[in-house]
Amino acid sequence: MGIANESRQEEQNMREEHHGAGRYWLIWGLLLVLTVVTVVTGRIHIPTWGLVLALVIASTKGTLVLLYFMHLADHRGANRLVFAVSIIFVVLLLAIPMVDLGTRFRGATPPGSTYSDLQAIDIGADAEEGRYGGAIRKEGKMGEESGAPKQ
Amino acid sequence: MQSSSHAAGGAALPVPRLAGHFASLEVQNHAARLGMWLFLATEILLFAGLFICYGVYRFLFPEAWAAASRSLDLTLGTINTVVLITSSLTAALAVHYAKEGKNKMVAVQLGLTLVMAVGFLVIKYFEYHHKFEIGTLPGRFYSYEGIQLPGVPLYFTVYFCATALHGIHVVIGMIVLAFSMVRALKKADFGPNNFTMVELGSMYWHLVDLVWIFLFPMLYLV
Amino acid sequence: MTPSSSIAAPGATPAPEEHHDHHPNYLVDGTTIKSWLLTVDHKRIGLMFLFWVLLFFLVGGIFALLIRVELLTPGPTIMDAMTYNRTFTLHGLVMIFLFMIPAIPAVFGNFMLPLMLGAKDVAFPRLNLLSLYIYLAGAVLALWGMLNGGLDTGWTFYTPYSAHTTTTVAPVLFGAFIIGFSSIVTGINFIVTCHTMRAPGITWFKMPLFVWAIYATSCIQVLATPVIGLLLVLVTVENLFGFGMFDPARGGDPVLFQHLFWFYSHPAVYIMVLPSFGVMSEVVATYSRKNIFGYRAVAYSSLGIAFVGFFAWGHHMFVSGQSTFAGGLFGVLTMIVGVFTAIKVFNWVGTVYKGAVEFKTPFAYFCGFLFFTVFGGMTGIALGTVSLDVAWHDTYFVVAHFHFIMVGATIMAFLAALHYWFPKMFGRTYHEGWGLVAAALIILGFNATFIPQFLLGNNGMPRRYYEYPERFQSLNVASTAGATLLAFGFIIIAMYLTYALIYGKASGKNPWRSKGYEWLSESPPPTHNFVGPQPEFPEEPHFYVDPKKAEVPDAV
Repeated sequence: MGIANESRQEEQNMREEHHGAGRYWLIWGLLLVLTVVTVVTGRIHIPTWGLVLALVIASTKGTLVLLYFMHLADHRGANRLVFAVSIIFVVLLLAIPMVDLGTRFRGATPPGSTYSDLQAIDIGADAEEGRYGGAIRKEGKMGEESGAPKQ
Repeated sequence: MQSSSHAAGGAALPVPRLAGHFASLEVQNHAARLGMWLFLATEILLFAGLFICYGVYRFLFPEAWAAASRSLDLTLGTINTVVLITSSLTAALAVHYAKEGKNKMVAVQLGLTLVMAVGFLVIKYFEYHHKFEIGTLPGRFYSYEGIQLPGVPLYFTVYFCATALHGIHVVIGMIVLAFSMVRALKKADFGPNNFTMVELGSMYWHLVDLVWIFLFPMLYLV
Repeated sequence: MTPSSSIAAPGATPAPEEHHDHHPNYLVDGTTIKSWLLTVDHKRIGLMFLFWVLLFFLVGGIFALLIRVELLTPGPTIMDAMTYNRTFTLHGLVMIFLFMIPAIPAVFGNFMLPLMLGAKDVAFPRLNLLSLYIYLAGAVLALWGMLNGGLDTGWTFYTPYSAHTTTTVAPVLFGAFIIGFSSIVTGINFIVTCHTMRAPGITWFKMPLFVWAIYATSCIQVLATPVIGLLLVLVTVENLFGFGMFDPARGGDPVLFQHLFWFYSHPAVYIMVLPSFGVMSEVVATYSRKNIFGYRAVAYSSLGIAFVGFFAWGHHMFVSGQSTFAGGLFGVLTMIVGVFTAIKVFNWVGTVYKGAVEFKTPFAYFCGFLFFTVFGGMTGIALGTVSLDVAWHDTYFVVAHFHFIMVGATIMAFLAALHYWFPKMFGRTYHEGWGLVAAALIILGFNATFIPQFLLGNNGMPRRYYEYPERFQSLNVASTAGATLLAFGFIIIAMYLTYALIYGKASGKNPWRSKGYEWLSESPPPTHNFVGPQPEFPEEPHFYVDPKKAEVPDAV
């Protein structure tokens, strides 16, 4: 062998066992079942926990794809670490802006949002209006009846 | 991750060429796979940016999000999910057959994957077309009279950005898999020691599937 | 196939090395233009990066001088206000995206990493070459956009302004997006190289500290760059089509843009500064003739900075409308970065302590580096305090701070690396006296440029302003004078290094008597780095004396 090196340990972590094809069909079946579950529960529109439930199911499906279709179940070491780290950073990236929004001075949230004290502005279809700032609005369009101004 | 795929060992040699700077074939494959995982991590973070936009605006405009997501065609979305999951299965099977050296089956499975990918894009085209007709478009192009809530155009901004970015990845994935399929047909040299090319292409395809698994409930079911 | 290609023999094992008497070094192994442009040799790619990075440094430097000249007088001096806006944007963009981010990883990382790991090349040589061309393509697009209409948003591209300005946002942002790919590819390549290409004897904790630093940098590049890639595309789309993702007129949240932007751009500071830390760890051990003090602490703190660097981004947004709670949170988290940096500084000083210091040019840069890092870092801690930042935000104090920590540290390390590894890369020596003169000029010039800016900022001069009141003029003149000194320093370096390149004396294999792994090969190295059988590395890196004897005066 030309070059030995220090990655022997990782090399062994990478060894892949060869499974029968049946396993893939089984996972496929599970994924389809979970898809049906998520569609059915999604259509009920559970008020608060609907999105959470949908995300839990999606995460389950994602885990199945990762572990078995992408063979992460067979890989050890660096590959798992890479994936785990990327997920941690996605969560971090999501969590901090949410913390910010949840605790923000209400005048600094976008107008028209649930957390805003500002007037809802015209979200209009017209290309010109609203383009250069929120103050331009036309009378009698949708801003008033819908915008949920909380004053 | 290209080292082995470019090696062009020829049908006579069932093993791929080892690039001179690697210690052994195992290390080379390990490097290719680790590189692919790192690349997939970057893809995950790329989509994460849009997920964050989604999360923040859903937090700010929950009613608009609920109303807008109900204007999407759930049936088409579900069909697309099933199509993509099934295409992921065939991609996984292609790797399975590549390891066993059954090149014909590799080509068949990859072909099926490509057919389903095209199907996915066609269905997506019909969905887009419908949105252009009724005017549920991003930002200033929004002209749908049916839902008038602040934040709804923003939903469609996120919708179009996310699905378009995903669509681009579908197309890239198709190109990658097509290369593997052509190789399985022309050279037919995949085998127990040489399946990295199919494996990496298939990993990419699973990632495309993975992203859609999250996009589907987020966009269609809230 | 070019002679420098590393793709070798068919079959499952590489062909045994044939022993010729003469192994040409990588500089002369293939002299056609094609053998350079299509090379997959990491050393040649590193040199090509060096060429382009220096060129862009020149461009950015010229724009820096133009800004300083414009600010000589309170009113208009040499350009109008719009040109000024474009000039400082161009300066920031070129310096950050085209110079500082690729500077040390792409040039010295590429060149040294495989040598330090005893490998023949990086893991993916072709991707390595690709990253150079991606970088150039992005640079061409961005510069084309900047010259055809320019960009006046500053390098931060804050929305909603960047979505509405009539200047050429789209090509510049898309160019920066493409450059991001180059950064990602380099990062992936280095991580995989560290994992799979280490020679026998080099376990994780026997990797040289420069490799550790590059590894940590690569992790940041891989994790953070995609986010800004997406963001730049979103802003481009917003600018072209008005999708309203970050437009408050459509319910969008500009602060969200800033969150996503600084999620990349704050760690990007560590992309610039971590490799500098790595270079300095090498330099300080070599010229102190002493083992690095606290090897593991330095290695871990590189990873620690990379990790914690991701938790501090909100300190750029204290006055943006971000919640005060998040502001306080980020203020606290920012302090933690200081802890890891302090560990490094402590260890460097501990290395020099009772070492047999050879005061060569790289060591002079190390001294400057230590000053800039400590001083810039301490002002950073001050700026990380929310209440203080509210007053200092967007003043020249911030400008001076980040030039100290980010530019000061990077320039010092870049020049130290250039001098330290010049014999390694070209096999020639430069004139030591001129080197020290230039180092003195640059360190003095840098201080003279930016210390007045600290004072200006503290007196309330806002950054990015075209005009200023009379009372700020004397400090501005001082700053411009300092910048001129800095420019002279760089001109001297350019002259004596060019001279050394052509007429310099042969340096021999290891002129510094360094124990770094990269010096085990010839200088300049042959095409595949090592001739003959695979070298082994039984010793610790930076091993000069037995650690037990390290503090004994005459042990060295």
